[in-house]
Amino acid sequence: MISKAKRVSDYKQLTKQLPSVRYVDPEFVYLTLMNNRCTDYTLEVEEGDSVKVGEILGEKCGSFFETPVYSTVSGTVEGVVKKLDQNGLEVDCLKIRNNFKDETHESITDRPDAFIKAMSKEDIVDIVKEKALVGLGGAAFPSYIKLNTDEAIHTVVINAVECEPYLSSDYRLIMDQPEQIFKGLIYIMQTVSAPKGVIAVKKTKKALIEVLERECERYKDYDIKIAKVKDYYPQGWENATFKEAVGIKVPVGELPMKYGLLGFNVSTCASIYEAIKHNMPITKRYLTINGDAVNFPQDIRVRVGTSIRELIKLCDGYKEDINKLEVIIGGPMMGVALPSDDAIVTETTTSVLILKSTEYKEEPCVRCGSCVYSCPVDITPVSIMNAVKRNDKKSVELLEANKCIECGLCAYVCTSKIHVTDYVRKGKNLIG
Amino acid sequence: MMEIVQKSSPHLRRPNARVIRMMRDVAIALMPLVVFAIYSHGLSALWILLAAVGSMVVTEYVYYVIQDKINDGKFQLNNPSFSLYNYSVIVSGLIYGLILPDKIPIQVVIIGGVVGVLLAKLIFGGLGQNIFNIAGFARIFAALSFGAMLGYSNHVDADAGATVLGVLAQNPFSDGVLENYSLWTMFSGLGMPGSIGETSALLILVGGLYMFLRKSFDVYVPLVVMGTVAVLSAAVMLATDGVGWWFVGTQLFSGGLMFGAVYMATDPITIPVTRPGRIYFAFGVGLLTFVIRLFGTYPEGVVFAIVIMNMFVPAIDYAKWSKNTFSLKSGLIFGAVAVISVIGVVVGASYVG
Repeated sequence: MISKAKRVSDYKQLTKQLPSVRYVDPEFVYLTLMNNRCTDYTLEVEEGDSVKVGEILGEKCGSFFETPVYSTVSGTVEGVVKKLDQNGLEVDCLKIRNNFKDETHESITDRPDAFIKAMSKEDIVDIVKEKALVGLGGAAFPSYIKLNTDEAIHTVVINAVECEPYLSSDYRLIMDQPEQIFKGLIYIMQTVSAPKGVIAVKKTKKALIEVLERECERYKDYDIKIAKVKDYYPQGWENATFKEAVGIKVPVGELPMKYGLLGFNVSTCASIYEAIKHNMPITKRYLTINGDAVNFPQDIRVRVGTSIRELIKLCDGYKEDINKLEVIIGGPMMGVALPSDDAIVTETTTSVLILKSTEYKEEPCVRCGSCVYSCPVDITPVSIMNAVKRNDKKSVELLEANKCIECGLCAYVCTSKIHVTDYVRKGKNLIG
Repeated sequence: MMEIVQKSSPHLRRPNARVIRMMRDVAIALMPLVVFAIYSHGLSALWILLAAVGSMVVTEYVYYVIQDKINDGKFQLNNPSFSLYNYSVIVSGLIYGLILPDKIPIQVVIIGGVVGVLLAKLIFGGLGQNIFNIAGFARIFAALSFGAMLGYSNHVDADAGATVLGVLAQNPFSDGVLENYSLWTMFSGLGMPGSIGETSALLILVGGLYMFLRKSFDVYVPLVVMGTVAVLSAAVMLATDGVGWWFVGTQLFSGGLMFGAVYMATDPITIPVTRPGRIYFAFGVGLLTFVIRLFGTYPEGVVFAIVIMNMFVPAIDYAKWSKNTFSLKSGLIFGAVAVISVIGVVVGASYVG
């Protein structure tokens, strides 16, 4: 097939119409004390201490900035164990036994609306920083840095596109809590004094659009629009969303703030609402468990820190006739495969996919050009692959391999089933 | 026992993206032409096609048997280098056979096929590595080495009847061709002399439509090739007295233009990888074809044009300027080249008539 891959097979129908299951009370939660930015931590609690929801347990320390660790359940601390995080890295986690009382810490208090209205930009940025909010779409970029921008922002774009196949956690979030998203958006607009707000949704998701438009009626005082974007992959990539939803083309590698745009994932938006209104850190999130190798795919509302192994059991486990499978955190196009299922849900875990592992037989490249036609950043993956094979650093540079966003389309479309994305990644490493 | 394996993303692949599907589609799209060739030329066409496909398949087979022996391996039919399983060598053979004239001796077909697949494909490293269009290379080899036995020498044409382009090569602007063959004859290919598979523009378009619907080729390439020839011939027609629209029609429907544009210039292995690159390539093919037809001693130029343009592919794909999208600069340069070509051809044509 020599053609642009506009769509990738979707598979959302497996889960998106199912109501989300609530599984907010695991016996233990495991809270990550490290991540790829922070390699060290300090603890403020000891084994045996009893903690409450929203209590600060310690701090992740890194070269960049410190982020507090909040308890997501009430219970007792049981020490530090090693688990896998969303990047497949083995990290130290604080194990907490749940006492199922769900007591909230005294710092968790609602702010009155009038009070919030009077808050300045610095106040809100401080709360967001203190509550350790990060981009929940997967990149985990600290939200307060985005909010603290000095550029004049004219439009805040909420990205509810969710273009990866299999994923429907954002879908369920909007279906269940549209109000939070609107309020979160209004808070963000207030913070950066943006006059306009846009919520970008795929136009094929009719039910979502209906829900959002009904909600939109209630916030007529604000200039909030629902942008219906085309059902392409990778439409959820920030630059593609901006282009479709507001018609501004942000060049790859430049910050959207420079163009007066600020983008947030829809779950991030909801978490900002929680933090500002209820002074609550992220304790729960929607998670999709899906894939062709799990018995009962579904969306689950979980406590951050829940064991993924336990959740897979909740979904009736793996299909039995399958020998080799992959456990993937994130979508099938960009997600990370885990070495084992002994992982935990972090606040940026959007989904857990359990896919049958297929061995693809690689054939010689026939230069069909599908990867070139499909590339969303308009580079030529096949030429980069050939340059990487002959270790030609100069060509890789000239071919702008550093522009690659690793969306995975080049390998997806390849007629010869070559793992082109891997070669482009190597090319990116080659030029540093 | 269940096992968790770790792979890098993406974890999904496009379900029906396969080389075999693409190549099989080309083979299927060639079938109407094969049937038509046998219908209009009888058994001799069948023998030519069998010899063309057979010589290429056997050469490749023997080559890999020897190569695997040298590498201490045992040759197996599902050897990924042996491209019989994905129809690629069959497609090359079929195309090669279809662009041969019907009176060609079988041994010439075989020699051309063997040398073509060996020199144009195998020594470069097999499937995906070849620089030249295999069928085109084999055809040119046969034509240049055994010119007296095929192609457009009087020896053959006396039997086959003068081809349209043969007449046009003597006098490019004489509408005398239309007395022998109407435009409809050229379009349908019924009763047209010429290479066994090239004559029916209609069936070629049907095959092209099939490949377009199956997305098995890049439709821009044949459109630009034919568009270039149409524009150039129209420009020449307007600039020359006494030449009517029939000139554009004959240029488009006669000879191997349609066939070359649809089946040979679209061979993805030997054309650039980017869409702008493919359009420049196709423009070059159209321009060279027209120039060879009008000014060259050979009446037919498509195969030469394609093989000549194949040589420019690495230059078009060069990392420094190969871009995935059109920019204002590349558009301006391309436009300027196109305008200069049209002017050059028109000025040149005024000396030909």
